[in-house]
Amino acid sequence: MNKHTKSWASRIVLVLMGAFVLCAATAALAQRGAPIKIGFVTELSGPWAFIGTNCVAGLNMATDEINKAGGVLNRSLQFIIKDNQTNPSSALAAARTLDVNDKVAALSGPTNSDTSLSMYGYAEQQKIPFLVPVAAFPQLTKPGTHYTFRIEPDAAGWGYAIAKFTEQQKPGAKVALMYSDTALAHAIVAGFQYQAPKSKLSIVSNILFPQGSSDATVQAAQVKATKPDYVIVIGAGAFDNVLTNQLLDLGIKPAQIIHPFGMTTQVFGWGTRSIGSIYGTFFDHGENSLTPEGKSFISRFDSANGRPPSYIENFCYNTAYVFKEALQVAGSDDREKLRNALSKLNTKEITSGVPIKFDKNGARKEYMYFMEIVSVNGKRTYQSKQRLYIEWNPEVLPVYDIIK
Amino acid sequence: MSDSTLLIILSTLSTGLLMGAIFSLVAAGVTIVYGCVWLPNASNGQFFLLAALAAWTFTLSFGWSSLAASLAVIVLGVLLAVVLELVLIRHLYNAPNRNVAYFVVTLGMTQILSGIFSLTYAKWSDQFSVPPVIEGITMLGPFPISNNRLLALAISLGVLGLLFALLRYHPYGRALRAVFQNREAAALRGVNVRAIYRLSFVLGSTIIFLGGILFAFAYSFDLSVAWTMSITAFAIMIVGGPGSVLGALVVGMTFGFTQAIVSIFASPTIAMFSYLGAMLIMLLFQPNGLFKR
Repeated sequence: MNKHTKSWASRIVLVLMGAFVLCAATAALAQRGAPIKIGFVTELSGPWAFIGTNCVAGLNMATDEINKAGGVLNRSLQFIIKDNQTNPSSALAAARTLDVNDKVAALSGPTNSDTSLSMYGYAEQQKIPFLVPVAAFPQLTKPGTHYTFRIEPDAAGWGYAIAKFTEQQKPGAKVALMYSDTALAHAIVAGFQYQAPKSKLSIVSNILFPQGSSDATVQAAQVKATKPDYVIVIGAGAFDNVLTNQLLDLGIKPAQIIHPFGMTTQVFGWGTRSIGSIYGTFFDHGENSLTPEGKSFISRFDSANGRPPSYIENFCYNTAYVFKEALQVAGSDDREKLRNALSKLNTKEITSGVPIKFDKNGARKEYMYFMEIVSVNGKRTYQSKQRLYIEWNPEVLPVYDIIK
Repeated sequence: MSDSTLLIILSTLSTGLLMGAIFSLVAAGVTIVYGCVWLPNASNGQFFLLAALAAWTFTLSFGWSSLAASLAVIVLGVLLAVVLELVLIRHLYNAPNRNVAYFVVTLGMTQILSGIFSLTYAKWSDQFSVPPVIEGITMLGPFPISNNRLLALAISLGVLGLLFALLRYHPYGRALRAVFQNREAAALRGVNVRAIYRLSFVLGSTIIFLGGILFAFAYSFDLSVAWTMSITAFAIMIVGGPGSVLGALVVGMTFGFTQAIVSIFASPTIAMFSYLGAMLIMLLFQPNGLFKR
């Protein structure tokens, strides 16, 4: 072989090697470089911005962890986050864009019942798996639901759980209800009213406040006049603090006040005067049964945000892991396979070990912790202790008959 | 009379007085600006909310005392009003149909402020509470009322009284009333109309700010309070008569007590809309307001 031929041969070998490296890199990129896309439409502005923003904080922590650990199906998991402005039509428009333009494998994100309902119709019609992290309005998982799954237990069940808790604390108790005119509060009250006679509880006062209310002094006095054993307080936004404080002002004892759900910021808002009062929740940083992953999540969230996470952030954190697990079961990001995987999922919250399993309509097996506030340290932290943990099957009460 | 009945009566009185006084104060701020400058300030609710949020920021984020925070918010309110008057409001003093122009401009301001709050405070918290200026409660028979609320009530009523006296007896007040009635005639009599406009805008806006501070001390609040207060203040101004502080006081108190009483005998939901019903009935008989100037 002469020098000229040798030179050409080595060039061809080099070109072939380069082509091989290029093909290998392209294949690797195809595997690693095309993320699995999930549309996450949530409330980053408008009245619900606080909830949506914190939800995304929890979600992002989990997504980073998943991707650092190798992603899912050898691909990275990408949540495309869109702001729905706490507006159902904006939520619907964002869902459509994510479906048509981004071709997402699934939808998720809303933390508000109204925005969730607007996306629910679209997801069911377009056959897109839709995993709702936080919204609790029962109609999201009504009979016939096929593509929607919900991580948060439905709100009518919360009312059921409160009745069971009250019955356990004081059989035959007299209960007063004070709540804002929201879909969530109506659902909780409906669940409570359904269960109350069965638990032999009597409702001595039932006061509904319109949204935008700012004072409840007169109603607090009316409630006090009925001498209730317990008062269930469900105020919208800041009105929850107003209701709580006005009851305490009039001499209702903290231990008589039950809040159906307590987020970290709500507990801070109720303040030290509320020590001894009860709240329901689905995740609490003071719980003893948390997993090591749960404790790590709390510690890292606290460092980043200056307060412990509450159930909202926990549900959104777990949303990323639920998708990871369902995608692994599905073996691809095909929508129908992913839907089937979600419907068969039988897993646990990575943070708390509480089971996650959906019924045929996408509703989750229900549970609730009842916690008592032990101390409140400014806006930094608080201690609480568990008074009751309860699980129940969603079908224990006829949710879709009592809430239209 | 049983303690329970007395408790309900006294709670009704305290609610009616406090809500009525804060409604009246904010409506007085709105009515002074509208009556004099012919400026229907659609952003009054956002000004109100801005003051409450600023008080929250100064106390919780900066660690200032509630009193220092209140004074700082008032200074901030005056400065904001002066700047707005300088860069925006004064350019429309001579515009034909300036009330429409002003309404559109202030609607724009509402959207801007609302957007800013939505992108900032809405992400930081969903409920805001300001620490009390004074701690403790006072017992009125069986009814406990917080000293902080009593202070808010006393300041509201005091400021309303001062405003009333200012407009009735002070030369500024007389000049302002002259401009209300006929600005050309007032100018011929030597009244500096533009200076009166400026002063009225700054005074009215500062009073709205004060209302926001007092509300923040009396109640926990969230961002929705801006819309509630905006509608209520306009309703009170229209029924009371644009430009009438006395009208704002009488109608504001009527609205406050109407809400408190209706909420006992009907429900808080009906109470919320009862004052709007009362407004419509009053306007049927007095289309120009009860205290027409």
